[in-house]
Amino acid sequence: MADPYERALESLLRVDGVRAAILVDADMGVPVVMEADAGVDADAAAALGAELFRRSARCADLAGAGSLRTLQLAAEDGHLLVAAAGGLLIVAVAAPDAQLAVLRVEAGRVAGSLA
Amino acid sequence: MRTRAELAVLVDLLRGPLREYVRETRVRMAVLVDASGQLLAQQGFSRGYEVTNVASLAAAAHAAASALADMTGARRWTHLHNEGSNQHMLLAPYATGGSDLILVAIFDRSTSLGIVRLFSDRLGERLRQIPELRGGGSVRDASRFEHELEGGVRRVMGDQA
Repeated sequence: MADPYERALESLLRVDGVRAAILVDADMGVPVVMEADAGVDADAAAALGAELFRRSARCADLAGAGSLRTLQLAAEDGHLLVAAAGGLLIVAVAAPDAQLAVLRVEAGRVAGSLA
Repeated sequence: MRTRAELAVLVDLLRGPLREYVRETRVRMAVLVDASGQLLAQQGFSRGYEVTNVASLAAAAHAAASALADMTGARRWTHLHNEGSNQHMLLAPYATGGSDLILVAIFDRSTSLGIVRLFSDRLGERLRQIPELRGGGSVRDASRFEHELEGGVRRVMGDQA
């Protein structure tokens, strides 16, 4: 895959336990490219993940913590990771037993390459 | 054409889902109109908008988008998004089995297109479950549609059309 966006998705999906990887327009909250397992509502993950990031970024800003870089939401049946990448957001949906540390590193690397 | 009683029932049924839609998306204003431009429900801050004009123009936009979708082989259109400098507008048509309904949502930066679109789809699913919408009031008849649309345009143009 030559496209840098598709290459970014491919590297995120290579991490064990990642069920969906989406690049989202940060302002609009709409997916630019996405790959998701069946059963994952990628549009909803993109829109709601971007919204959550936007609100958390505002909260971080108000708290004087500076600009938000990554956000990780742990839930009973999985994880949601959102990372800023310039005008894009990286949204990853992962299983409860996913390699989260690897995913965070990979998301940071992808963010750096896209920003 | 719906009777006054049918219309009252319909207006009542649409109020709850639209209120919930506005609460979840934080759009400034949302209206539901039928394909002839008749306003069926409105929620949010409508001050500053001529809501009946918005309804008529939404019906006209729906007719134009449907014709364009037909001509280009895209079949049915699902969303129409207009981005302004301060505000955005999303139009979404819902096929309910009877008359098409059209959602008009006006929003600003306090929400995002992704959220507005996501919940618009969910609103459509909810509306399709309302049995009263599957019945009468169909405007699929071309001559009646044209007549009703013409009436809507006249209202917008102040009877000059």
